[in-house]
Amino acid sequence: MKKGDITFSVIGMGLSLWLILESQKFAYASKFGIGPGFFPFWLGIVLAAFSLFKFISSLREKYDEDDRKPRLPGWGSLGRLGLIMLIAAGFALVMSSLGFIVTVFFFVSIILFVLEGDSVLKSIFYGVMFSAAVFLIFRYWLEVDLPRGLLGI
Amino acid sequence: MDILNSLMQGFATVLTPFNLWMAVIGCFFGTIVGILPGLGPSATIAMLIPLTFGMNATPAMIMMCAIYYGAMYGGSTTSILLNVPGESASVVTCIDGYQMARQGRGGAALGISAIGSFVAGILGTIGLMLICVPLAKFALKFGPAEFFSLIVMGLLTIVYVGGKSISKSLMSGVIGMALGTIGIDVIQGAPRFVYDLPELMDGVSFVTVVMGLFGIGEVLVSAEERMKITPINVKFKDLWPTVTEVWQCKWAILRGTGVGFFMGALPGAGATIASFAAYAVEKGVAKNPERFGKGAIEGVAGPESANNACTSGAMVHLLALGIPGSGATAVMLGALMLYGLKPGPMMFHTNPDFVWALIASMFVGNAILIVMNLPMIPLFAMGLRIPYRYLYPGILLICIIGAYSLSSSVYDVWVMLVFGVIGYFMKKFDIPGAPMVIALILGPMLEYNLYRALALSRGDMTVFFTRPISATLLAIAAIMTIAFSFKTVRIKRTMLEEKEE
Repeated sequence: MKKGDITFSVIGMGLSLWLILESQKFAYASKFGIGPGFFPFWLGIVLAAFSLFKFISSLREKYDEDDRKPRLPGWGSLGRLGLIMLIAAGFALVMSSLGFIVTVFFFVSIILFVLEGDSVLKSIFYGVMFSAAVFLIFRYWLEVDLPRGLLGI
Repeated sequence: MDILNSLMQGFATVLTPFNLWMAVIGCFFGTIVGILPGLGPSATIAMLIPLTFGMNATPAMIMMCAIYYGAMYGGSTTSILLNVPGESASVVTCIDGYQMARQGRGGAALGISAIGSFVAGILGTIGLMLICVPLAKFALKFGPAEFFSLIVMGLLTIVYVGGKSISKSLMSGVIGMALGTIGIDVIQGAPRFVYDLPELMDGVSFVTVVMGLFGIGEVLVSAEERMKITPINVKFKDLWPTVTEVWQCKWAILRGTGVGFFMGALPGAGATIASFAAYAVEKGVAKNPERFGKGAIEGVAGPESANNACTSGAMVHLLALGIPGSGATAVMLGALMLYGLKPGPMMFHTNPDFVWALIASMFVGNAILIVMNLPMIPLFAMGLRIPYRYLYPGILLICIIGAYSLSSSVYDVWVMLVFGVIGYFMKKFDIPGAPMVIALILGPMLEYNLYRALALSRGDMTVFFTRPISATLLAIAAIMTIAFSFKTVRIKRTMLEEKEE
């Protein structure tokens, strides 16, 4: 937790620095009062103050047993989560060309087969069921405009 | 009389087949969302916003409100049957609800929770109706300075009460406001932090942020834990608490309603705190407080009534002032703006049909929920037997569909996925997401009102302190800040002392 708090405060400081520097590109004041640079600049200052406070308090604070336990899971679980996100990113990449319904089939089948260890047949079965459900609910009933892709589905 | 007439008009709007259907769908989805761990009302409402773009604002908001209070109804089911809260507001229900279930009184716990929620929902809506109108009338006196101070007060309380660590909540809030500065600025109408990316012109969509932080983030946390849940069985015939039990709970339900409504009406207090406060009250007034924690039915009735009454309380400042008090009402505020409505006191004058239909729908929705919930609880509970490995691909898919249909663009899906990863880490390190979302929505409003107030006063910064209402609101904010600071110091000292001992 301590490492997490320190990391968060460092990210906060980085963000505040970015806000302060970038806000310089915009006018601080306008004819009638504040300009577009005013708000981001002060947000940057406030964020810098909070981040610095958090950084110092994280260094000084005595964390109890529970807080000292690692918050992130082992590499195995992180890898599993990474794979879920990778498959979801793949979905976003190919859905326009493959079509939404077809992509749903691959998305569900791959998750169940690769990550959950289901058999090929079971994974394909659930892939088809999910695709059919998405088709019926979102395209047929709610008429959501989902990409149709090369196959036109 | 005016209120009654307006309410009748509202009922006339709600009791049309389509609007009723929307209320039923909202109640159904809300209950499911409340029951299933891994998806909260904020993310669900956000996901449904793009799917309701073709609709009129009234049925869409009726559905979203129904999801909100439906989730509060459903949240108790997992708390009682699994000892796993479906919603954070139902955490406290686990204490006595699960004990009751283990003693074979799970049905009675679920039944009293539904009855308490119904009574609280109805009484809370009456309270909302009675407070909202005079408050909206009073708020008509508000100018930009008052709105600025009100938003500051709202943001501060949300941040202070929002999470375990005040500094993390504050940072989360400021980052949310910084995200809100991306896009066309509210002062000169020029692009800000856009970096020649046309997608950023409209700013960062709060819908994608909510779906990412609360939808994808939650899925990742749950998928990591590989949830395996085996609920305690409940049969329909066991669902009814005895007359003695209901009678025993009457004051607990009423006290819970009062506490919940009051807490809901405070910006930032939220349903979780309301339910804990109601539990503390029940334990405090009980003749035999030692029963609590061992299956006391009042320990279920009070908190469950409180979290439902809280939803009505939270709607008070959303409708009357246009300020959200929780993550879910923040999403609803954003949705109202997307439908072209301007939430706040003027809405009672510009869109009275809409406001009263929404209030009337809360009466109807609570009736639907009790009718739907009591007989269907065993059926809903069966949903808990679906292995999580089949649920999370479904949740991910709904999030992707929701993000894509915002503007038929893959860009929103990417943004949502990025916020999903951020949401996962925020959850792991106890950084609350709600202040970020609320600040993302309120940030531009804060900047706009600051600009207008200063423009009207020709740049005079004292305008916030010389106008009485604005000064009062800022004074309240300052008092709260000082009070919370003292409280934090006191808690830390106590913790240090305990450690030394």
